[in-house]
Amino acid sequence: MNDIPVVELENLKVTLGRREILHGITCRLGVSGTGKAVGLLGPNGAGKSTLILTLLGFLRPSAGRAHILGMDCRRNMGEARSRIGYMPENDSFVGEMSAVTFVRQMAELSGLPPKAALEKAHEVLFHVGLGEARYRELRTYSYGMKQMAKLAQAIVHGPELVVLDEPTNGLDPAARRRMLKIIVDMKEEQGMNVLVCSHLLRDIEQVCDEAVILKDGALVHHCNLEEERRSNRHFVELEVTGDDRSLKTALPEIGAEGVSEGAGRWRIVLPAGVEVEAVWGLAARQNLLVRKLTHRRDTLEEIFLKAMGHLSHTPGESGLAAPKPEGAKAG
Amino acid sequence: MAVYKRGYQRYAGRLTGRWTRFMVLPRYAWSRLYQQRLVLLLTMAAFIWPILCAGFVYLSNHVELLPGLDREFLDFIQVNGTFFAIFMYIQGACAVFLAALAGPGLLAPDLANNALPLYFSRPLTRWSYALARLTVLVGMLSVVTWIPGLLLFGLQVGLAGGWWLLANWTLGAGMVVGFLLWVLVLSLVAMASSAYVKWRVVAGAVSLAFFFILAGVSAMIDEVFRVTWGHILDPAWAVNRVWAALLSVEPLEGPGAWESLFALTAYVLLLVLVIERKLRPVEVVR
Repeated sequence: MNDIPVVELENLKVTLGRREILHGITCRLGVSGTGKAVGLLGPNGAGKSTLILTLLGFLRPSAGRAHILGMDCRRNMGEARSRIGYMPENDSFVGEMSAVTFVRQMAELSGLPPKAALEKAHEVLFHVGLGEARYRELRTYSYGMKQMAKLAQAIVHGPELVVLDEPTNGLDPAARRRMLKIIVDMKEEQGMNVLVCSHLLRDIEQVCDEAVILKDGALVHHCNLEEERRSNRHFVELEVTGDDRSLKTALPEIGAEGVSEGAGRWRIVLPAGVEVEAVWGLAARQNLLVRKLTHRRDTLEEIFLKAMGHLSHTPGESGLAAPKPEGAKAG
Repeated sequence: MAVYKRGYQRYAGRLTGRWTRFMVLPRYAWSRLYQQRLVLLLTMAAFIWPILCAGFVYLSNHVELLPGLDREFLDFIQVNGTFFAIFMYIQGACAVFLAALAGPGLLAPDLANNALPLYFSRPLTRWSYALARLTVLVGMLSVVTWIPGLLLFGLQVGLAGGWWLLANWTLGAGMVVGFLLWVLVLSLVAMASSAYVKWRVVAGAVSLAFFFILAGVSAMIDEVFRVTWGHILDPAWAVNRVWAALLSVEPLEGPGAWESLFALTAYVLLLVLVIERKLRPVEVVR
């Protein structure tokens, strides 16, 4: 199998003005042609968009190297861009064009012959749910429709890699579900690699197979979500009243691990095969009154909070199958 | 199969060549431009003067149709450098208004709607984008400047014969070169103003103001300092001076053709710099 990484960064530094935004990131993300999605996570100002803009060749690295689909982002961008689709975060369109003309023009710019471009424009607009509105001018579209039109132009030419910057921003729940379903289809049905940049953990967890977390321009975590899902661990948020000091030492009785967040709040990870009832039993044995017990599997949130420094320790960390990136800071 | 039943499949067919892709933007832009009634009307109006000039060329070659006219008038209706200079002044002025009307509509909407990242994420560089937009304006302005000029020249050659061509070929070449220089300046002014202002109507006004304000400033300098070199700041004057040299007609009072050409080159470089600064996929706030 071809093992060219989708994105390969070697000590990548990007400086805007006098400010260094990315501080020497080194990592290999995804494998080209495998139809997998990589999530790029981080709080606002972490450097996600800067990284994407650098990968697209819009910003020049001040040091280090960035490769996309095996091609250097400085030297081979002409070729790389014909194999990439990009959906920017902000409103981007040509206002006085109908959606079908806009998408057709973008397809032709990517190298499709005019007739094929027209066919694909119609096809992709139906695919993203704008079939009935495809002859309307883009400036008359709602925000959600514009997001879909941006997605349509990004995939009309059938790129190998689709870069999506905050694709679910401003979408209502139904439109968000549709967007995520299309992203999953893109990778599973069409075999496209997807690079999704978002600050919404649930979106990343839902569609991505791999995730990297950026903080203050540095890569702080790199995890394989596919393996996380396979590990089938259960997370429990517990809130109790009473003396819970001995709960930490009692948790291993049921094979669980946990951390206290103070004021009777606990985050507990249950191994496969241990049901949530065991926590109730343990609390009863410890004479604790359970005020709240939430059972969930939002593992990425744990990882994210830990990477951000909001949690000192992720429950069940020893069981995590997350690959540690080269050059990544300890979380 | 109906398109809505087909479902999306990745495109896997052949791709077009680099030049075909380069012409995509001009093709779409031209079709959008000529859908605007004002542009179409102004373009059509710009043909009135060439048609009148064609009538003049015809009459000057058929003096037998004008019996009873005195010698002075017959000397006046000659197709020479002065004739082409007058033709160029009027067509050049039409081109200013056409560029101000149509030019900003090419760039301003892309900048206002943040469309540049979409273009530049495709195999299209900033320079090829700018060149494609320039091609649109140069093409559109050529239709009302050197192309009708060359047709007039051809008409004259057809009516006057090959000897006239041998004696006056520099007029044709000078007209084409002179018009191309003016078209380049106009296109860059329109592009730079729309790159700077982003709002189409204001950008059109700015590109007109560029010529009027500079003409005013140059006149002011001349008056205040009692000099003639101030003219050089007026691009319209400078291009007229270059045209006069190219068509070998009596030059205007003021700086020479080379100085004027130098001033126009400086303007062109300045405008290219403005466009280069503004046409970026992302605006970096430093």
